[in-house]
Amino acid sequence: MYELLKNLGTWLTSGASWSGSDGITHRLAEHLQYSLLATLIAAAIGLPIGLLIGHTGKGAFLAINLSSFGRALPTVGLVVLVFLAGGLSMLPVYVALVALAVPAIVTNTYAGMTAVDPDVRDAARGQGMRGHQVLFQVELPLALPLIMTGLRLALIQVVATATIAAYVSFGGLGRYVFDGLAQRDLVQVLGGAVLVAVVAVALDLLLSGLQRLLFRHRTA
Amino acid sequence: MSVDWSWIGDHTDELTSLTLSHLQAALSAVFFGVLISLPLAVIAHRFRPLRGFLLGISNVLFTIPSIAIFVLLLPVSGLTRTTTVIGLTVYTLVVLLRNTVEGLDSVPAKTKEAAKAMGTRPLRTLLTVEFPLALPVIMAGVRIATVMSISLVSVATYIGDGGLGQLFTDGFQRNFPTPVIVGVVLTILLAVVADALLVALQYVLTPWRRRRA
Amino acid sequence: MNRRTVLGGLFAAASVPALSACASGVTSLDGSGSASGGGGSSKGGVTIGTANFTENQVLGYLYAAALKQAGVKVTVRPNLGTREIVIPALKSGDIDLLPEYQGALLNYLDPKATAAEEGAMQNALTLALPKGLQILPYGAAEDSDAFVVTRETAKKYGLTSLADLKKQNGKLVLGAAPEVKKRRVGAVGLKDVYGVDLKEFKSLDSDGPLVKGALKKGDVDVANLFTTDTDIEANDWVVLADPANLIPSQHIVPLIADRKADDTVRKALARLGNVLTTAQLTELNRLVDKDKKDPEEVADDYAKRHGLAE
Repeated sequence: MYELLKNLGTWLTSGASWSGSDGITHRLAEHLQYSLLATLIAAAIGLPIGLLIGHTGKGAFLAINLSSFGRALPTVGLVVLVFLAGGLSMLPVYVALVALAVPAIVTNTYAGMTAVDPDVRDAARGQGMRGHQVLFQVELPLALPLIMTGLRLALIQVVATATIAAYVSFGGLGRYVFDGLAQRDLVQVLGGAVLVAVVAVALDLLLSGLQRLLFRHRTA
Repeated sequence: MSVDWSWIGDHTDELTSLTLSHLQAALSAVFFGVLISLPLAVIAHRFRPLRGFLLGISNVLFTIPSIAIFVLLLPVSGLTRTTTVIGLTVYTLVVLLRNTVEGLDSVPAKTKEAAKAMGTRPLRTLLTVEFPLALPVIMAGVRIATVMSISLVSVATYIGDGGLGQLFTDGFQRNFPTPVIVGVVLTILLAVVADALLVALQYVLTPWRRRRA
Repeated sequence: MNRRTVLGGLFAAASVPALSACASGVTSLDGSGSASGGGGSSKGGVTIGTANFTENQVLGYLYAAALKQAGVKVTVRPNLGTREIVIPALKSGDIDLLPEYQGALLNYLDPKATAAEEGAMQNALTLALPKGLQILPYGAAEDSDAFVVTRETAKKYGLTSLADLKKQNGKLVLGAAPEVKKRRVGAVGLKDVYGVDLKEFKSLDSDGPLVKGALKKGDVDVANLFTTDTDIEANDWVVLADPANLIPSQHIVPLIADRKADDTVRKALARLGNVLTTAQLTELNRLVDKDKKDPEEVADDYAKRHGLAE
């Protein structure tokens, strides 16, 4: 164990492991690219759905159940399936990551919307606000904390799961995990795992900081 | 990409055993997850200073890629079911611990005081008052953990286990979509059925809530 | 699964080195490299593991068919992973028997070994094996690593042998399974023996869809495949010659734990080894990969047709 940690330290601190196309810098950039793009696509799909069913109250049962079974979708299976259907490209990876992120975003957005006090909603209507005004000026700001929670949860899961890109020959930090597995090089596997965890935690802290910043502006 | 139906017909035995093995891995993980998270949640609930620490640890464990956990366990438990179950258990903790703590928090202080006033001992209060009242929130966590575990089992195919996940590597290597499609469908079915059974279990366990529902 | 079995598992793993140390006292060397006598017994059943590619699974099930015929109870655990994963599992007792390849196994156990001829290799393997493991007599069938380029790439760069790769130093991308990056029959040996500097090494899979897809698409220039893969001929790919004998002889050889190696197992596998030819193995691989037959079914069928099973 001690030996493993010592070798991990050497690996993480040696300049050679950070440079080049198989270097940590490059793999880190790839990993961020996969994760952020997938989460953005998932948000573009999940947010409107969550807001719409929360605002209208229609289709909630269906959407929430679909989301909860979306969680059951096995990522490995999805990657392989899209790969077999469409050949070798990043598409299988993005499809799987987006499918992973959408349920968390939809359910939390919907939960945020339903948590809005109906009296507030009625008051807004009573003041003559239209549907979209109620949605964007009243409901959305009030639902924002839970929506942000959903986005953070989705991002964490996507960052951890983006390792799968390496399974279908692409890069990212998963390269170290899969190569380390094949070569039985535990230092590489541990290094990859630690880096993924650090990225996930850092992004989460960043988003929660952002969230606090947004709040301060609103209450001020 | 078409489905080879005769392949499915010829492999019902194998599919059944893979499904059962898949379920066994997922349920074992949830079982151990509950076993570990219940006492930890009580600690986190009673001793505030430890709460952030325990929840933080479970959060960080959740960010480690599952495939890496399986590989890192190889020197300890080898290419065995134990490796799969330990790895999956780690992932259930984040949901189970958080929900159990929240469930215990949601028990009204007055109820606990009433129990105390009636001379009920702390452990008894915990078992007969707090846990039952926290059950709906705990069960919500158990449901999420179960569905999540069922979806994650297949990752263990990289270490030669993985239940239905074996159909994914097989289909991948042979450019053969049928096993992959069957594997995905069976995984989702398994999750749906397990989830429905848990809802039923909760219904049985919380008779006092039925009138409200 | 309860806590007791988890602890039991740990205990069992910890006790293996002690057991194998006892067993090693009776391991002796002979021409075939197999231990004579020995305390092994297949009575409790044999667990066969296989690596993560088609042919190894076919071989695993062929071993299973041969052993079943001899009255041994067998379990097959297919698709466990690379040699780097499977051999430690063999040592720790998770599996007992593994279809292996002489040259690749020797390279793994002793990267400096120079033996290239079957007999010499068998002896070198016996010397290099860790305590508790032994090889049985090798079979007639072989499956070598091959470095393959497309017909167009061969023409474009004038490639017919591995020695030609040097002329394109810094230009070519090699695609292979991740472990090949650090293996002698891979990036390391190409550099040491042929002076090849690659532009890049791409981690793909063991003669699977990734490496073949990448070669077809032109994402890699050189691919590491196996000689028993019918796709090489079907796609008119060019296998680069190996004038310096970097790639060793690769007869198929059973690797087994001493604890399970008894006469019954040894004879059943020797019988199979004598019958199975390279051409037949190639055909069995094709049945699984192309006709989507189960490796188990294909192996059982073969065993029946050749009198290795009823």
